[in-house]
Amino acid sequence: MMNLADLAKADPAKSGISYARLLETNQLIQACGDSTYWLCLTRTVQGSKLYPVSAYILLSYLNAFYRYPSLIRKVEAVMPAEAIADRARQMGVKAQNSSIGWALPCFYLLGREYLINLGLLRPQDAIEDVITVMGFWKRFQLSWHRNDGHLTNADYNQRAQILPHDSVQRFASELHTVTPGDVLSVAAQRFLATVSQYGFLVSAESRISLTNSGPYRLDADRQLLMRDFMDLGETSLPWLDDIAADMPFNNLTVAMEATGCHFHLVDDWGSFEATPEFTSDRLTGIGLYTSDTLSEGHVPVAMDSPETLAAMLHDLSDKAKSATDRLWLRMAGWSRDQLLDAGAISYYAICKEIAHIAGVFDPGDWLEIDPRAERFRPILSDEYSDGALGELVGSLTMPSQQTAPHGMMKWSDKPARVLTPLPLSVLLGAPFLPQMGPPLPGESHLPPKNDRYRTTRGVLSLAEYNAAARDFVPASCHPVENFLCDTSRAYPGCQT
Amino acid sequence: MTLLPTDNGLWGGEPDSPLVAAVHLSIRDLVRRRWAQSGLGWDAFVAGPIDHLITKADLAAIDAAVLATGHRYAFSATISATERPEAYQGLASLEGGFAHPDAPSAPPDAQGRALCGVGDNVVQGSADIEGVARYVRSAAQVIALMEQGVPDGSIAVIDDSGGTLTAPILDRFAGLVCAGGTVRSHLGILAREHGIPCLMNAKLTGIADGDRIRLEASAPARTAESYLSGTDMPARIWKMA
Repeated sequence: MMNLADLAKADPAKSGISYARLLETNQLIQACGDSTYWLCLTRTVQGSKLYPVSAYILLSYLNAFYRYPSLIRKVEAVMPAEAIADRARQMGVKAQNSSIGWALPCFYLLGREYLINLGLLRPQDAIEDVITVMGFWKRFQLSWHRNDGHLTNADYNQRAQILPHDSVQRFASELHTVTPGDVLSVAAQRFLATVSQYGFLVSAESRISLTNSGPYRLDADRQLLMRDFMDLGETSLPWLDDIAADMPFNNLTVAMEATGCHFHLVDDWGSFEATPEFTSDRLTGIGLYTSDTLSEGHVPVAMDSPETLAAMLHDLSDKAKSATDRLWLRMAGWSRDQLLDAGAISYYAICKEIAHIAGVFDPGDWLEIDPRAERFRPILSDEYSDGALGELVGSLTMPSQQTAPHGMMKWSDKPARVLTPLPLSVLLGAPFLPQMGPPLPGESHLPPKNDRYRTTRGVLSLAEYNAAARDFVPASCHPVENFLCDTSRAYPGCQT
Repeated sequence: MTLLPTDNGLWGGEPDSPLVAAVHLSIRDLVRRRWAQSGLGWDAFVAGPIDHLITKADLAAIDAAVLATGHRYAFSATISATERPEAYQGLASLEGGFAHPDAPSAPPDAQGRALCGVGDNVVQGSADIEGVARYVRSAAQVIALMEQGVPDGSIAVIDDSGGTLTAPILDRFAGLVCAGGTVRSHLGILAREHGIPCLMNAKLTGIADGDRIRLEASAPARTAESYLSGTDMPARIWKMA
């Protein structure tokens, strides 16, 4: 919380605010708004009889607005965004799309937009927070996308070639061949469907446990898609305590070779589309890996032979199916407040992996609802929330989203925009609140997280997990290896 | 009257939804009153007092004021209506079949197929499919099907475009028809992964539980471009004689 003395510091120069910084931040805000509109319009219309989805989404946006800036500063005090992305590039964890690529900036900015419409904020309030979030996002994205040179998948015509050349070669060389109808094909299809189903439930009716990146051309007829299934185990989501005790891996990556179809779209939510449609008969190769912030990149799982891999996929499918049934029964018995919290925390904590990577994860930071967000719970009826969220990300009919009549927004030509830019008038002396302040002690209607964290080094306590993360530097992130990028390797004579 | 800094924006109006507009106007009025009572400038007010002076109790009072008008919320999650029956419309809307006003219908053709709806096809299959319609609209129905098993050849008829309500039983169905969502909704994604023919965003009429129905699963899959342009790509649903 700011006090009156802090306000005396609220001038642009002391806050590091310049014309150039504002221009850059506003461009990033606009890019997020354009992306949000396209994704929300073309990718989804959700309804759930089990979860009050719109209500929990609005609650998550508010929590993100009040907490993300402080938590980003806490993470960056240990590790900068670009270094976190260097590690994320070599893992299949929630530090990619949609977690950072879209959700981190957009959850925050949509919370801000909502509060502007409720009259609790001016566009210039929390200006340092906005710049912090967007600056972190930009540096993370530039690093994560460094091998394809784009800021987002949308910039790259809906694709994400995240991996360096040697990693693609490795995954391609380790693929086990799949023939339609063979034992591995059957096991793979069952696993992909079962773990996807489990992932939607784990994430409280959201797709954030699933993502895809790529594609990578293997030859004229074959492409590689990397498919990640995340937060499956008894790690950092409290509702998986006990339920997922048998799940041996928290994160699983499937390297999937498809023949005869082109993945023409891999978007910033990690969804994919192919032409012609990807169907099971087009699956011609598969590999299975696990990873987290304590692993040396992707670690093969039961890749010794097609038979061992098929057996593992069936075993994981059995475990995911069993966990699905038990988790569903647990959730079906929850109160609305518990469902609201699970959904809001699933969404809000979508980017919690940055804290795991930096070794500063704290359940109090990521698994609770800040009282400044919590106070809005009484108005979040299903009908109000469906309407408010629909107007905020779909019809764009909130007052703050209207622009001058000549406006023609990207994708729709409406005189509207999703997100309000920062006003340049702060450079003329318009007053502003620099920051919203640190997280306030939060609460949750769910049982607290137990002190068991499933990692690639076994089950650790939180203290052990954080300490191990702070101590560990994967080989790919040692300076020499990290900076021998594809361009450097293409010109060996230029490296020294 | 005290004006908020964001009052009287040049281009803004009010939200489209009367309920959303009413709630937002009430909150903005609350902020005006609390700000005026604080005696502070906006900069000082927003720097902390606003977090204490706009309370959960204040917002609960706005919810109560909405209900005092006689309005009852439409529910999306059944738990909402179950826990607060005094605040939500009843669960009776979950009973019976769908009757969409825009659903196309026609008498049986020469093959005994009576058109009773259309939907958006998720994946273009090689052939149409037939099965027995089973409405699944509540957790209680899911629990019953978990205990009794889903009969072979069942086609789920549902209005939940998410992937959680039917999570324990989804893979047991021969087909899916959903009266909401798009082909990229969670249910559509899962149908594709499971390889289950699925029509989303369906407009249905006249289908009763136990009817034998046929889905035009061989119709082209609806594209992202068609959603952007608003161009329909209907796949048909028939009730079989």
